[in-house]
Amino acid sequence: MPCERKPMRYGHSEGHTEVCFDDTGRFIVTCGNDGDVRIWESLDDDDPKFITVGEKAYSLALKNGKLVTASSNNTVQIHTFPDGDPDGILTRFTTNATHVTFNSIGSRVAAGSSDFMVKVVEVSDSSQQKTLRGHEAPVLSVTFDPKDDFLASASCDGSVVVWNIEEQTQVISWPLLQKSNDVTNAKSLCRLAWQPGMGKFLAVPVETKVHLYERGSWDHVSTLSDDLLTQPINVVSWSPCGRFLAAGSVGGLLTVWDVNSKLCVERQKHEKGFTVCSLAWHPSGSQIAYTDTEGCLGLLDGLGTSTADKNTTKVAAKKPAKDYDDLFDDDDDRLMDEGLSDTKSPAKKAVGWDDDDDDFLVPATGRVKNRGAFLDDENSLDTGSLKLGQDKFGDNNDDAGSSVAPAAPPVAPLRPVYEGPMPTPPQKAFQPGSSPAHLTHRFMMWNFVGIVRGYNDEQDNAIDVEFHDTAVHHAMHLTNSLGHTMADLSQEGVLLACPSTEELASKLQCLHFSSWDTNKEWMVDLPKGEDARALCLGQGWAAVATSTLMIRLFSIGGVQRELFSLPGPVVCMAGHGEQLLVVYHRATGFDGEQALGVQLLQFSRKKRQLISGEPLPLSQKSYLSWLGFTAEGTPCYVDSNGMVRMLNRSLGNTWTPVCNTRETCKSKSDHYWVVGVHENPQQLRCIPCKGSRYPPTLPRPAVAILPFKLPLCQTTTEKGQMEEQFWRSVLFHNHYSFLSSSGYEIDEDAQNLSQKEQQELLMKMFALSCKLEREFRCVELAEMMTQNVVTLAIRYASRSRRMALAQRLSEIALEKSNQMQEEEQEEPEYSSTRRSSGYGHTNVMAGGRYSRRHNQQEEEEDEEERGEELMEEEDGQEMEPEEATETKKRVNPFAKEASSPIKPSPTPIGKMGRANPFKVPDSGKMSASSGQPRVTNILDNMMSSKKSAQLSSSGGKPSKSPVLKPLAPKPKTKTQSTLLQMAATKTANKKAQENTEPAANLQKRPDTPPPAPPADNSENKRPKTGFQLWLEENRKSILADNPDLEETDVIKEAMGRFRTLSTEERLSWTERAKGQSGDAADLKKRKRAEGGEGLENENEKAEADESSAKKKKSLDPSSKLSVFAFNQN
Amino acid sequence: MVSFVTARPAPQAAGTVCSAVPVGRKFLNTHTKKQTDMDPSEVEFLAEKEMVKIIPNFSLDKVFLIGGDLGPFNPGLPIDVPVWLALNLKQRQKCRIIPPEWMDVEKLEEMRDLERKEDMFTPVPSPYYMELTKLLLNHASDNIPKADEIRTLVKDIWDTRIAKLRLSADSFISQQEAYAKLDNLTLMEINTIRAFLLDTLNCMYKLRSNVQ
Repeated sequence: MPCERKPMRYGHSEGHTEVCFDDTGRFIVTCGNDGDVRIWESLDDDDPKFITVGEKAYSLALKNGKLVTASSNNTVQIHTFPDGDPDGILTRFTTNATHVTFNSIGSRVAAGSSDFMVKVVEVSDSSQQKTLRGHEAPVLSVTFDPKDDFLASASCDGSVVVWNIEEQTQVISWPLLQKSNDVTNAKSLCRLAWQPGMGKFLAVPVETKVHLYERGSWDHVSTLSDDLLTQPINVVSWSPCGRFLAAGSVGGLLTVWDVNSKLCVERQKHEKGFTVCSLAWHPSGSQIAYTDTEGCLGLLDGLGTSTADKNTTKVAAKKPAKDYDDLFDDDDDRLMDEGLSDTKSPAKKAVGWDDDDDDFLVPATGRVKNRGAFLDDENSLDTGSLKLGQDKFGDNNDDAGSSVAPAAPPVAPLRPVYEGPMPTPPQKAFQPGSSPAHLTHRFMMWNFVGIVRGYNDEQDNAIDVEFHDTAVHHAMHLTNSLGHTMADLSQEGVLLACPSTEELASKLQCLHFSSWDTNKEWMVDLPKGEDARALCLGQGWAAVATSTLMIRLFSIGGVQRELFSLPGPVVCMAGHGEQLLVVYHRATGFDGEQALGVQLLQFSRKKRQLISGEPLPLSQKSYLSWLGFTAEGTPCYVDSNGMVRMLNRSLGNTWTPVCNTRETCKSKSDHYWVVGVHENPQQLRCIPCKGSRYPPTLPRPAVAILPFKLPLCQTTTEKGQMEEQFWRSVLFHNHYSFLSSSGYEIDEDAQNLSQKEQQELLMKMFALSCKLEREFRCVELAEMMTQNVVTLAIRYASRSRRMALAQRLSEIALEKSNQMQEEEQEEPEYSSTRRSSGYGHTNVMAGGRYSRRHNQQEEEEDEEERGEELMEEEDGQEMEPEEATETKKRVNPFAKEASSPIKPSPTPIGKMGRANPFKVPDSGKMSASSGQPRVTNILDNMMSSKKSAQLSSSGGKPSKSPVLKPLAPKPKTKTQSTLLQMAATKTANKKAQENTEPAANLQKRPDTPPPAPPADNSENKRPKTGFQLWLEENRKSILADNPDLEETDVIKEAMGRFRTLSTEERLSWTERAKGQSGDAADLKKRKRAEGGEGLENENEKAEADESSAKKKKSLDPSSKLSVFAFNQN
Repeated sequence: MVSFVTARPAPQAAGTVCSAVPVGRKFLNTHTKKQTDMDPSEVEFLAEKEMVKIIPNFSLDKVFLIGGDLGPFNPGLPIDVPVWLALNLKQRQKCRIIPPEWMDVEKLEEMRDLERKEDMFTPVPSPYYMELTKLLLNHASDNIPKADEIRTLVKDIWDTRIAKLRLSADSFISQQEAYAKLDNLTLMEINTIRAFLLDTLNCMYKLRSNVQ
């Protein structure tokens, strides 16, 4: 049925227009927003006659030479036709009528109005009126039953009602339409049409379909639809013969169906795609006149409606199943829509915004937004509230229909109502640290590096880039000709992206300002049909997530790199260093929840995925509002409930809530807009926004700092507070281990400081538990301590007379030492760095010490000795500088520790050391089974712990730990002698070690003056070196050769001679020195050859005394404890 | 990088710094200055020790000064510094100054109205409100929203207070009071009237003693 579409012509000013033919079909009559009724002789009539009926004409109907119009003065008037003389007012409403129509014989006029009423008026006698009340919103359209029994009307309350005119009652009501609060807001005008002739069917445009209801049974018998119809149908009209039904839709599509075959026989598109708001058939059925909302008039000509059709029997065939589906679909759609207008839904919020919101509204974004979000919802809300006072039904809009027709039995099939969880509209992709894209002035990015602002108003479409630190780069002002909507900023460059338009592809632009060449900018077009959704910059790379669920990586210079697919639509991305964090939609969320997944990738030399698509935990009914890394590189995010969560790498990559920004908000509508997270110092940088979620660009918002607080229980109590502090400290220092494991330099001082803080907290908690008589808890705490602190705890426990506790603690201390020893053996580096709850480094030290004590004993003890030497004289290194540096390298802090002043006095060392070099390890091994040796072992631990404790207290005062007071001195016990023995073994071992490398030692020797010959008893305690032995033997000969030589010169001479000896000879001397049982020449090497000998000796003596005194003092507390330990046994 | 002026210049000769002293100015210029008088520039010098928030655009570790430690400075993060440093940094475009809370049109309007209503002096937002306004508006007006209005308002408050001060000085002398309360007066205000009032009293005393 080909037809000709005539070109459109201008009819009325912009706005709603209506059209009809006169009875003969000679004239086309239109009315419009300008208040005129125009009478066109044909479409080509350039000078139509016009009648002015009012300021605006809303609707018209023409029959029997009477023109009825609904005008803006709230009346329905009659004019004669074609003369246009006013013929009186038919009826009035309290507001304007929306639709008027004649009955088939032209005796009555029905008018629906915005005051919810429908009136049926006799044309001949306007006093005979029938008012049909029952609609709960403005009436959209009315239509007469050709037999004049019924009248159908559609209303903004969503219902289509059939009335019995005589009884003025509702016959039936169908809740078919979307609710709205006014005709202008209605999705569709919903012009109903009753089949002419017998009036068998009532055609109701419902969304994109036309429902046909059978007169009498009011069953929904069939549906007319067309695939091309994507937008709601505004108006339907029957052909005069009643076989065809024409429909005009919002998108400007004109469709004609053959009702019998339900086939679409004609499709035409409005030439400009304007919304068709009125349709009229020519009485002959060969033309359709139509008008659009822009006031234009069009005509379809040549509709061959006379062509006979064959199959007419199908009409009655009911398809209940299909109808069911339709209904269900419809229902579902509406529910979805409800969900959309939920204020909490971010997607809707963005949509709800009015585009012309100017900047002044921005400070109150939150509220305005909420208002905006209600825009659609308001309609249903309004009608809902209008229902008040009438019969109450459920607030579900499914009930609306039945509530309108309480009397009528539900003839329509029962509609299944889905009451399960409702899907949440997925949140849209966003750039963390940006305000919504529809604002004219907005932040496109606010991060650690700087601020990118976007302006998009009449004068300017520009982007401002500003750096917090002007040392990075100066501020930039770019014109935004491409219409970029996304931005990211790093120390190296600015990344911008724009969505695709009809002509242009989505573009990615990078201002690589840190480039050293002259090209500071590159641009990439994404493939057609692919839109950038999210982007981020890392160190040396850029990433873009696109609408095709892909992530494309670029180098910062513009080289395309890897690309990979995402499991779902991206929500946002963040980059830091070599890490990329992506959050995407994992699935559909239900009941306000989002189902997000997270991936964390690392692009270091060994590229890997650290978190592979795990669900991202969000607070209930919230969505993601910020995603990023802390300045130290730990992933972090914030949800719309203000909960900040951080990745806990030490707990299997779980997310720990670290702060709730809403807790600090004064009012409910205040929010904090997070711009950055720092772990050291612990700072959450954010911008307080009064009454909104986003800050305005002007006045410039100031950054505020919030503290972190883990949501631990009972943080008002001292215990809770300390626990919170401890775990927060642990969590916020995880990044050290991560950084060091990924090969970055870390601030060891800060790390040690934090570990010290943690241990102090543990000790405090320990003390508190002790006070509260919670010994079990004490033990639990001790498990978390490092071994050194455990020894402190032991002392504390013994001091507060908790013997059982001290006993248990000592077991723990032992376990710890064993454990650390194992760890040290297995994977020394990794275990130490991973340990989060201890002095990472001290652990290594302690562990290392123990392992060495048991395994590489000589070396370890050598270090002890080394420390002693370091402290007592600087020149001491002359003997084995190589070895010293070697050990130092391995455990650097140890050297420091060893130099602490508590040292076993040298006096007993020499003798006892050699006597029993392996005593300590033996007892250590035994300790596992027997009780007594364990004590020694503990004391052993304490020795070392005391040293490290003193290291931290840095006072150099022996035996004064911050917690404990020195105990009253007691007579020495057996234990102390054990201690001395232990110390002695070290020296002995050291000696042995030393002598194994005599050659090396000797080669170094010439650099420094050799030690003086033994002149003092104390010096004799030191083992002698080969050179010294040789010197002793040869001194006389040297003196004989040069009798006038000073002592120093003698040694110089001797050095020279010794060097002239052959290697073998020298070796033999050292062998002798090694084998010699004489009391080590060791002490001698400390001797300063330059100094006067006597003085030197005195010093030496004094020093020795002092150190032994120190030693005694230092041993006091431990000896006290050991006394206790023995008492225990 | 940033180098700090670690010693700030002492106030220069009177007359170059503050011109907001309508009453005292004349006397300072015409009479020989006594040791007891304080120069407006000296008062301003004291005011410069007040703390003000700035947002630095550079990063620097803690600076150790005689007056106390400042910093560390993190770009983009607000920090409290003395006014003299803030102004110095501002002049070198190293920071943005965040105006003090009271430097807000609404609050100042409220204050002005109260000041006009009350007979006594009302408490001022800062003991150096005049000096700070002057300094900040002269050097950092681009960081202060509605700078002109603020300037006018503060001037209004100042004028009101000085008028009150003159009135009370007048009644003080005419009623031959022995003492007067100086509640809620700022240093600048006191110094504005001090020279004039003391000289006047001296002069009157001389005249009176000659009469008797």
